[in-house]
Amino acid sequence: MNEADKKNWGTSYGQLVWQQFSKNRTNLVCLWFIIILFTIAVLAPFIANDKPLIININGKVHFPLFDTLTANDYSVFLAAITGITLVSLIRRNSRKIDPFLRSGVLWKQVLICTGILLVGIILLQIFFPRKLDATDYRAMIASGKASNAIFPLVPYGYGRTDIKVSQKPPSNEHWLGTDDVGSDVLCRLIHGTRISLSVGFVAVGISSVIGIVFGAIMGYFGGKIDFIGMRLLEIMMSVPTFFLIITIVAFFPRSLLNIMIIIGITSWTDDARFIRAEFFKLRNQDFVQAAISLGLPLRSILFRHMLPNGIAPVLVSITFGVAGAIFIESALSFLGFGVAPPTPSWGQMLSTGVSTTGEFLWWLTFFPGLAIFFTVTAYNLLGEGLRDAIDPKLRKAV
Amino acid sequence: MIPTILGITIMVFAISRAAPGDPVSLSMGPGGQMDAQRAADVRKVRMALYGLDKPIPVQYAIWLKRVVKLDFGDSIKHHRPVIDLIKERLPVTITLNLISIVIIYLISIPLGIFTAVRQGKFSDKVSSIILFMLWSLPSMWVGQMMIGYFCGPTFKNWFPPAGLSSNFADSLPFFPWLGDRLWHLVLPVICLSYSGFAYLTKQVRAGMLDNLRSDYIRTARAKGLDNWTVTFRHAFRNSVIPIITIMASLLPAMIGGSVIIESIFSIPGMGRLAFEAITTRDYNVVMAVATTAGFLDIVGLLLADIAYAIADPRISFESME
Repeated sequence: MNEADKKNWGTSYGQLVWQQFSKNRTNLVCLWFIIILFTIAVLAPFIANDKPLIININGKVHFPLFDTLTANDYSVFLAAITGITLVSLIRRNSRKIDPFLRSGVLWKQVLICTGILLVGIILLQIFFPRKLDATDYRAMIASGKASNAIFPLVPYGYGRTDIKVSQKPPSNEHWLGTDDVGSDVLCRLIHGTRISLSVGFVAVGISSVIGIVFGAIMGYFGGKIDFIGMRLLEIMMSVPTFFLIITIVAFFPRSLLNIMIIIGITSWTDDARFIRAEFFKLRNQDFVQAAISLGLPLRSILFRHMLPNGIAPVLVSITFGVAGAIFIESALSFLGFGVAPPTPSWGQMLSTGVSTTGEFLWWLTFFPGLAIFFTVTAYNLLGEGLRDAIDPKLRKAV
Repeated sequence: MIPTILGITIMVFAISRAAPGDPVSLSMGPGGQMDAQRAADVRKVRMALYGLDKPIPVQYAIWLKRVVKLDFGDSIKHHRPVIDLIKERLPVTITLNLISIVIIYLISIPLGIFTAVRQGKFSDKVSSIILFMLWSLPSMWVGQMMIGYFCGPTFKNWFPPAGLSSNFADSLPFFPWLGDRLWHLVLPVICLSYSGFAYLTKQVRAGMLDNLRSDYIRTARAKGLDNWTVTFRHAFRNSVIPIITIMASLLPAMIGGSVIIESIFSIPGMGRLAFEAITTRDYNVVMAVATTAGFLDIVGLLLADIAYAIADPRISFESME
């Protein structure tokens, strides 16, 4: 393939949307904010940890922080690496691969990456040894046994309890204060980023898969299937979602994965409606008719030919969905239905702000709430920006 | 309407049956002194007693029959019929939500019109930024900050932190009693309404803008009608209809939100009931509350439909000739 051919490719729909999207500075700020949040979440153990990065014990150099990384940490790293690979692959595709083949190649890449990620996480969770390191490195340094230690930026662990420094307002040692068991608020905030972002990501992943499959089938077949599906959708939509979620939470054991699944299976209605509307428009177009008459399997027609053309509005609802999922997770944790207490979660931290004596420990409520607020706002703004970039009519109007 | 109600009950029932652990094993506890044979016998008798030995659809039919008669069983914690608890708590939640909805509509319609008319001006830009922030503010944060700042000994002690009325409220004459009630409602209502208010204002503004740009408005202006008539008689009348339908999407969010608000402010409503029931694993109450919330929602939708028909003479629910 020569360069001239590549010139003739022109700009793809995705590139057009990106051009529109990146014209607005607010969108870019939000995007960068979310990228930074993800970086913090991935690198949380390196930013806030009570184990030193390097320590010199009796003349031997140790790396306690690296030794104590858990299977969860490695899973997060793996997820981050596959995520970055996927993004760079998509960028490379738009330069190197013929537009006609692009969506097919992308499908394969996404499938392979997801496969590697899932297998990797399962293997890590099963085979990675659980390590416990209860050594108090600070005491070792103080007693002169060890030296030359380099601690992370926030030298506290999120599960640390120290009743001597409980409920202290922000100070030099604890930048954002401490909570009622003496854990450092900043450290818990940093580790809580993981919970919030992963809930947003996984829950929306689940809900969008359900919504896309459901909506695609409804929109493609129409008629009776569509009628029954729409009645089902109406039922789902008229149930107060939050009540449904807490009902499920009441009956099922509480764990992070369960919460993700619960949020995922209760919030797919918008995705399904959007995809259905798009597929209604698409199914009579020539390229779909051609795909049908070629005798392609249904899977191929729906997801390789129609979906790439109808995914745009769903992307918007996915972005809003992430904001919604983060909000629901923090609301659940706030009510005490979220992850178990030693694991830091923004919503749960927020709820400890008014102590049992009625005293207001403002730093316990203010900072986690601010974190939720900024994250939710960033995703919402991103969704609005995306919608404006995708819908040319709205773009002109507002 | 009927399928939706059926769907809600099926969903609630399915959740309760899909959950791990059945009521009998829960009530029998782990093992104990009974030998295996006897335990199995007791289990069988109890399963038959609760009707758990029948197939799931039959169980559902039995449950539904009781629900239709408003019999949700007894609460394990309160030792009272669940329906009595709901009768006590429901009016509180409905009042709270009604007040909030009225306030939302009263403020956001004028504000939406105002910002639409002044589109692009400074006041419009400022208000849209503020509204966007209000929309994404987590309500538990706002509630907790308000309780901490306005209701505690630490900062200002202006508002009561919990409940619907003061302890001595019953001994007060009518107007002070009403004042006391309202004073207790201020913060919860603010918490419950600000995000819906932001959302609705945005929608009103968008709808008004759409209409103000259309041809018939230009015609009306060309006819020499004054600004007031054009805005209210022409544009507003046409943008009212979508606003009514938004109530349908606002309601589930508000009913769900009242769980958070009621448990922050310790208001004895349905949301608080749900919260307590879940923390004490009072399953009958959980199921009853979920079903009732679904009903409430459907009643709201029905009201929205009726309002829709009143507002728009073109819509009728009679079948086509």
